[in-house]
Amino acid sequence: MPMKLICTVKFVPDPDSFTAGRNRLILNPDDACALGFALAVKSGDPGVTIEVVTLGPLSVRPHMEDLLRLAVDRGTLIWDSGLEGSDAFVTSRVLSRYIADRPCDCVLTGSHSLDGGSAQVPVQIAESLGLDQMLGVIRIDPDRFDPTRAVFQAVDETGVTTWKMAMPGVLSLTRESGYKLPYPALTDLRRDVSEDVNILTSRDLGFSADQVGRAGSLSRVAGSYPVTYGEKDPVVVGTDDDGITRVVDFLKKKGVCR
Amino acid sequence: MKQTCILQDTETPEKTRDLLAAAVGMYGRDGFESHVVLVNASPETFTGRFHHVIRVAEGLVADNDPRAITEILETLHQTYGFDSILIPGTTLGKMIAPRLAWRLRTGLASGVTDITVRDGRIEITRPARSGTILETILPEGPGPVMMTIRTHAFEHPPEETVPTRISTCSLPVTTRSTLTRLGVDQPLESRDIRDYEVLVAGGGGAARCFPALKPLADALNGAVAASRKLVDQGIAQRHIQVGQSGKTVSPKMYLALGIHGSMQHLAGLRGVTSIIAVNTSPHAPICRLSDMVVQGDACEFIEKLMDKLMPNPHKNT
Repeated sequence: MPMKLICTVKFVPDPDSFTAGRNRLILNPDDACALGFALAVKSGDPGVTIEVVTLGPLSVRPHMEDLLRLAVDRGTLIWDSGLEGSDAFVTSRVLSRYIADRPCDCVLTGSHSLDGGSAQVPVQIAESLGLDQMLGVIRIDPDRFDPTRAVFQAVDETGVTTWKMAMPGVLSLTRESGYKLPYPALTDLRRDVSEDVNILTSRDLGFSADQVGRAGSLSRVAGSYPVTYGEKDPVVVGTDDDGITRVVDFLKKKGVCR
Repeated sequence: MKQTCILQDTETPEKTRDLLAAAVGMYGRDGFESHVVLVNASPETFTGRFHHVIRVAEGLVADNDPRAITEILETLHQTYGFDSILIPGTTLGKMIAPRLAWRLRTGLASGVTDITVRDGRIEITRPARSGTILETILPEGPGPVMMTIRTHAFEHPPEETVPTRISTCSLPVTTRSTLTRLGVDQPLESRDIRDYEVLVAGGGGAARCFPALKPLADALNGAVAASRKLVDQGIAQRHIQVGQSGKTVSPKMYLALGIHGSMQHLAGLRGVTSIIAVNTSPHAPICRLSDMVVQGDACEFIEKLMDKLMPNPHKNT
């Protein structure tokens, strides 16, 4: 039985353009790995179906269209102005309500997002759906990935561990997995998919205005400020003998070596 | 008196007491009663540190089962009505805290590095956007204040002991995960990079000679660390990664070899006493924070420094 896979993704500001006024958006790297794995599964079994779901502003629509050109079967973008300011709790609530009506064998996500990095959403989606979940997945055994179970490796503070988990479940990948998005076929590059992105609002999913956005959120970001570090006036040396000697002297002075 | 629940750090139990510093930040030293929930540790380590040690009955839950541990914490909250629940920012903690917050319908601040109280309101600080900014989060709603604490962000100084009562939690658990550990493929070294006073860290400029960092670290009684770039390239393992998505370190000496010093990386340096940066560009961001900058190739530097530290009498003979 071919698997049905759902990938939740997020488009995040490119960290290399944070200082610009309007940040360029990129597919969150961990999420890209999750989708990369899903597409690899599909390339081995064309019967596999992949749906990509995101909650984000309508400006991400072109990015969703790019994903539809990569053999993704369905792309769903959930957005309305009421969702603006939603915290992780609301995001999880909206996404999980949508996924609950789309039975699947596995939800694939990234472990962390570049912008928030809290790893809350995949865990709360799993909790909402009553599923198991694992963070830090770096490899999924394609031969032991089916509608009943998944065998995979995950990394944590103790090392790399091989796990088995019943499906359906939520697997959250990291960039270390190395799964990459394929390049679109030349014919797909020209394919018009502008009408293929399924756009839903929070009202379509049965939420009232007070359940989403700032009103429905359980935490509030009161402010943010750039990180600053105390700057020093360093001694600059080269890699010549004098420079290395001064490094050794400095290490000795600090008690690092004798 | 506020009631604070702290979940044991299952990987490094002795670090659990550092979470008390977060509670002190919220309520002051004498403003709370601490309850620590032990999943796989014996109470002795915690006696005198916490007011109440709650030992989960042996065999009740697996120490790697986030769903079962979540249920235990939820039930304990129903019993004790905690004002705050603090969870270590470990991988397991990150898989427990959001589940518990969901069940309790309360907000969750993740990766917290600082806590202050302003005008009677708790303000929680956490890094965001790859460590480039710090966010101030205000808990809202009636639920307990919940957060995961970034490892090494708080340090609770040794202090007078407090009277401790010990109880055992043997409540029935109805939700368990299907996770089965099939094997540990790459066990890590027992010592964490956060425990070293000297770190020899490699970045993109040291990629081609990364194995050479180990002998240098050994010569300096230190450990090898790495930037995210080397981890993403598969050259270094994630457990030695320094930075926003890695670990926060506070060594006395940090040798940054071929590390550019992105905000993401600098977010992992906290209270480092001295930094020596080796970089082909003296304008790399890491250089501005350094005590000494060696302008040049990191691999060449390692070779020459090793020759100086451990001269080989047989070399060139």
